[in-house]
Formats: sequence, C-alpha cells, structure tokens
Amino acid sequence: MQGLLKLSRGIDALNMGVGKAATWLILVVVVISAGNAVMRYTIDWSSNGLLEIQWYLFSAVFLICAGYVLLKNEHIRIDVIVGHLSPRTQNWIDVFGLVVFLLPMTLLILYLSWPVFMNAWTTSEGSPNPGGLIRWPVRLLMPVGFLLLALQGFSELIKRIAFLAGKAPNPLAKTTGPTAEQELAQVIKQHQVAPEVADIVEMNRDMVEDKKPHEGSGK
Amino acid sequence: MTEFIIANMAPIIFGSLVVFLLLGFPVAFSLGANGIIFGWLGIELGLFHPAFFQALPERIFGGIMSNDTLMAIPFFTFMGLILERSGMAEDLLDTIGQLFGPIRGGIAYAVVLVGAMLAATTGVVAASVISMGLISLPIMLRYGYDRRLASGVIAASGTLAQIIPPSLVLIIMADQLGKSVGDMYKGAFVPGFVLTGLYLLYVIAVTLVRPNWAPALPVEARVFREPNGKSGNVSLLVLAVVSVAAAVTFGKLALAPDRALDETIVITSLVGVAVAFTLAVINKLLNIHLLSRIAERVTFVLIPPLGLIFLVLGTIFLGVATPTEGGAMGATGALLMALARRRLTWSLTRQAMDSTAKLTTFVVFILVGARVFSLTFYGVDGHKWVEHLLTDLPGGQVGFLVVVNILVFVLAFFLDFFELSFIVVPLLGPVADKLGIDLIWFGVLLAVNMQTSFMHPPFGFALFYLRSVAPSTRYKDVHSGKVTEPVTTGQIYWGAIPFVLIQIIMIGLVIAFPQLVGHDKDAAAGGPDIDIMQMIQEDAQKSEGGAPAAPDSTPAQPAPPPASDDAITRALKDADKK
Repeated sequence: MQGLLKLSRGIDALNMGVGKAATWLILVVVVISAGNAVMRYTIDWSSNGLLEIQWYLFSAVFLICAGYVLLKNEHIRIDVIVGHLSPRTQNWIDVFGLVVFLLPMTLLILYLSWPVFMNAWTTSEGSPNPGGLIRWPVRLLMPVGFLLLALQGFSELIKRIAFLAGKAPNPLAKTTGPTAEQELAQVIKQHQVAPEVADIVEMNRDMVEDKKPHEGSGK
Repeated sequence: MTEFIIANMAPIIFGSLVVFLLLGFPVAFSLGANGIIFGWLGIELGLFHPAFFQALPERIFGGIMSNDTLMAIPFFTFMGLILERSGMAEDLLDTIGQLFGPIRGGIAYAVVLVGAMLAATTGVVAASVISMGLISLPIMLRYGYDRRLASGVIAASGTLAQIIPPSLVLIIMADQLGKSVGDMYKGAFVPGFVLTGLYLLYVIAVTLVRPNWAPALPVEARVFREPNGKSGNVSLLVLAVVSVAAAVTFGKLALAPDRALDETIVITSLVGVAVAFTLAVINKLLNIHLLSRIAERVTFVLIPPLGLIFLVLGTIFLGVATPTEGGAMGATGALLMALARRRLTWSLTRQAMDSTAKLTTFVVFILVGARVFSLTFYGVDGHKWVEHLLTDLPGGQVGFLVVVNILVFVLAFFLDFFELSFIVVPLLGPVADKLGIDLIWFGVLLAVNMQTSFMHPPFGFALFYLRSVAPSTRYKDVHSGKVTEPVTTGQIYWGAIPFVLIQIIMIGLVIAFPQLVGHDKDAAAGGPDIDIMQMIQEDAQKSEGGAPAAPDSTPAQPAPPPASDDAITRALKDADKK
C-alpha cells in the first residue's frame, strides 16, 4: 500500500504541475484571439495558422487540465443524494465510479485515439485551409489528455482504497482554505466595503461550508 | 429477455442514465460510461457493428476540439473573473445607489439596474451577487428595507447575467441547438430587458403596497451634493437629454435609413456616450462647473461598463467580430481596465486563469461525456423514442411547450444549467424543430426557464452566494450605531419566491408573444434549422453499419457489411462541423 500511495503522490504531482502550466494557455489564447480580430479589421490581415492555433490551445487547456481538475475534485457531481451520505459510503461510490465509469471510458478513448494520431503523423496530415497548421500535435493532445486523466483516475482510486483501509485521510474531505467566492468577497471588502460588514464573510465561513453545493459551477 | 432488452433499449439506457447520475459520481464520466456500457451491450447483442466505438475520437475532435463556439466559454469566464475584482461593480453600485437613493425603493432600483448592466458586460452570477450583497445589502438594512425584499432583489438581479447577452447559457444553447451565437444573443436581448423591467415593476408594486418595506434614503445619506445643497439631478437630466439628442440627430443625418436596426442602435449609442463623456472631461479639466458633481460622477462611472459592452456586444452586432472574438476582446478590455485601475496583480491573473481553466475543463468534459452517450443513444434510435414521447402529447406545440417547461423548471431544482443544456436540450431540440418551433425562440425560452435554477430554494447558487456574504449574526452598524439583526436563511429563501414567480410570468410572456425574441429576417426563413436534424440523421446512419434501422425488428440475420470506417469518420466529421 505504501508503494501505491507513493505512486499516487507522484501522479498527483505530475498532474498538478502539468495542469498549472496549461492554465497559462488561457492568457495566451485570449491575446491571440483578440489580436486576430483587431488585425483583421484594422489592417485587413489574417492568417489561418493563427486562427487554428486558437482551437489547438483551447483543446490543450481542457484535455491537459482534465487530470488536474479530477485531482482537485472539481468535475461537477449531482450531489443531491450523495451529499447526505457518510464519508465511507461516498468513497465506496467513488471507487465504483472510478472502476466502472471513469477508467473504462478514458482507457477506451485513449486506445482509440492513438491510431488517429499515428495516422496523422505518418501521413503528415495538414489543414485543409491554406497556411493552416500541421495536424499531428493536436491529434496527439487527445491520447495525452486521456492518459493523464486515466493516471489521475488510478491515483484517486488508490487514495480512496487507502482511506477505506484506514491508511490515509479522507480524500473527499473538504479542503481548507478560502473558496473562490470567499476570496472575491475578501478583495471587494478590502477596497470598498463599510466596516460593519468587515467580518461577516469570516463569520459565515463555517456555516456555509456545510451547505456548499459543488464548487465552481454557476459562474 | 434479450428480445425485451433489444426492443426497449432506449428507455433502458435513459433509465440507467438517471440512476448513474444520481449516484453522485462526476457527471461527465457517468454520462460517457453509460454510453460505453450500453454500446458494448449493443455490440454483444448484435445491434452495433464491433467497430461502433471507432467514431468516438472523431466525435470529440470534430465536435468539441475544433469548435469555435465553445471557445467563447473560457473567454467570457476569464473576462468575468478579471472584471469582478476590478472594482467596476462597486463604483456602479455606489453611484447609481446615490442617484436613486432619495426616492422610495431607490436602492432596490439601483440593484436591478446595476445587475442588468453587469449582466451585459460579463455573465458571471457569483460576482454580481457578492458585490451587491456586500455593498447594497448593508445600506438597505441600515435604512430599514424589508429583508426578504432586499435579499430577493439582489439574488434575482444577479441571475440576469444568465439571460442578458453575453451569457454562457446562450452560448451553450446555441451550440447545442445548432444555431449561431450572434442570433441567440439578438434573440435574448429584448426578453432580458423585459425581465429587468418586470423586476423594476415588482419593486414599484412593493413601494405602493408596502411603502415601509423600501424607504427612501434620508438627506444625510446623500454624498454627491452641490455646494449649495442641491442634488444636481437637473444637470444630469440636461446632460442625458443633450446626449440622446446628439445620438438621434447623428442617426438621422449620418446613417442610411436602411441600415439594420441593431447596427443603428449600436452606432448612435456610441455617439451619445461619446458626447456625454467629452462634456464630462471638459468639465473636469477646465473646472467650469458646467455639470453637477453627480452628473460628472455618473458619466465617468458608466463609461467602463458601456465601453466593455460596446467591445463585446457592439462588435458582435456590427458584425465586426464573431462572438468568440468578442469574448476575447472583452477579456483583453477587462485586463486593460483592471490594469488602469491598479487592481491587476499577478496573483489575480493566475487565479483567474486557474478558475477559467477548471471551469472550461469541467464544462467541456460534460460535453465529451454527452457525445459518448449520444453515440449509443442515437444508435439505438433513442432520439426517435423521445420524439414519440413528446410529439404524441395532446395539444401539439402548446402541449409540448407546457410539458417541456414544467420538466425543465422541476429539473432546475436539482441540476444546474450546464447539465440541463448538455443532457436535456439536445433531446428536446430536434423535437421542437420537427413541431415547427423556431429554435432561437426555443433556446431563449429555455434560458429564461433555466435562470430559475439559480433562484430555487434551497439549492439555487445565487441564494447560496448571497448567504455567504449576508450578515448571519447580529452586528452593530457603525453609521447609525444601531444593533442590526441578521438576515436569516429563511428570509433569503422567501425573498426569492416572488422572483421565481416573475420568471414563470416571463416564460408565459415569451410563449404568448413570440415576437419578443428578436429575429433577423433571413434567420427566420429557417435555413440552418435542418443542421441539427441532419447531424442526428447522420449520427444514426453511422450506426447503421451494424444496427438494423428500428430497434424492434429482430436482429437475427447478420448485419449488412459496414461502410468503410473512413467514410463513417468523414460523414461524422462533416456532421460535426455544422
């Protein structure tokens, strides 16, 4: 078990690093896309390569971050029922879900997407648009993304089983530290808000933690 | 047994989907696994060709990765996250609150109007609700607003971000219904404003029936007054009239009368705003006191949001930018604005990128799961099953609309709009199309309905965000020195209910007056409407390689030889591109 947990920590570190790095692409693609629009209408210049790099980068973000988001447990769940179950039951459901849902799906897509990449690589598949980009890098993103996701699924499985065996803390326990909303409230407060509400956010924190719906959605 | 399964494959798949989703495992994988498990079963039962799953990579590649529309999701999210910390919302609330404060219900009007304006710049519900909860709620409590009214109006105004363009719901709806985002935006514009109007009407009604629920601010609470004690509103009114007059004159003189209405509106408003801004700048620089303080302040505070609205919606409506590019320009504009206000830090940018990447990933992965699911579901003619269920309803179009709206309204208690739009909408769209319902109109209608998912007690996100910033214990108000009672969770829930009812009224209005949903004439001709049908037909065709056309015919005889995989892939790719 210790060996497996070590492996799990390794995978976590990998997805953490790769995922964090990939988030920078958001800034890059924003700038490229805005630049493309401005260039086209100011000096009437456009390039298919620069247009295609947008969706290459967009694909890179969500495929490479898939494992990272799983690590952070931020893929949306419908927790109307699960929210009320015990931590052990929640972990058992996740073990079932990882083995029966996530791993088969990711491994199947990984297996099927590899030949597609190989085909693009050997035939030097290019864009149908003049000046477009070569296709193999973006074709490669799919197997890479699903490999990272499958690895993370495996790591999550190890953590769930270790918890159920009493050898690790609950991986589904709410992470401490402020949520995105609390951070936002903090910032607004610092700049603007009347002093009488200064500590309300702080006071509410524990109370809200219990009722929190899945984080991140609704934005 | 086997025959029973084969004959009822679609209902079985759908039933297990519900069970899978309720298990509480991440939706993206439950959805996808459902498709894979039943696809495998279908292969075992001889319903599908063994090469059935080979279409998967292309479905993800063509339909999701190279999809320009979906790229707008990270752009608008990023823009919203930067903007929510740029201080723009707080300035607006302060100033507009001052402007309307002196009349009864004034702060409530300010909240609705600022909510609508923030909605037209970003589309992030959390940001609006948190800003208004922190800035306007304490003021409303201090001057004795009814707590239910105060919290309800804040939560509801925050959700306007869902219906007023540019909103993520409309982008996803456009993608799922096979329509252009620009048309969807144009369609949602008037309903968004009508809804804002209904919220304002509700506040007016409250001030008439229960004047003590929404008192006017006392004189000492007004900050922007002239040295001689006057409010300065006359000057603001004059400035407004001058700007509007300039805009109208420009529209009449300089623009061809046959220009499209939306373009005319965009250009003339730009002129009007420019005039007001120039006057305010001259006034400030030369210090000539031509304008009152409030007039100057209002002008300066309105410029950033109006500038962003022009950058995003203006360019889209003028046809200068695609909605995706509009999102990117808006995000760049927000970055520059935050930089100019010295609010942009590295840590803020990193947080915004991190949150954007996470949101994009989980949203897009629900779609990945949905496309894996639909391959199997359409493969067993599930869409025909759904169609039969829904077209056989009594009352034709109206019956369908009533049932669908009730269904979505109820589901919105448990699901958020991402889940609804990726799972439910693709099933409903084709049926609506077949019944002759315009898909833009249908999409806007569903968006209004789904907006309630943010307000439904007890799971609505807007209520949850508000709860996190509303006082939950007694506190001493430093301005008045009075001990103020907390806002209870019950008050927040009760406050939301009138707005859920307004939402239902709005759904009724959109059904009763379809012309509310704006339309281009060429789009009304129904040209691209066939896209989604074609897509589904081709989806179904590709499974014909192994599946008999109808699931109830016995699949005893060996399946006809499948078309070559390449042809399948190409057909799918074409279908996906549309």
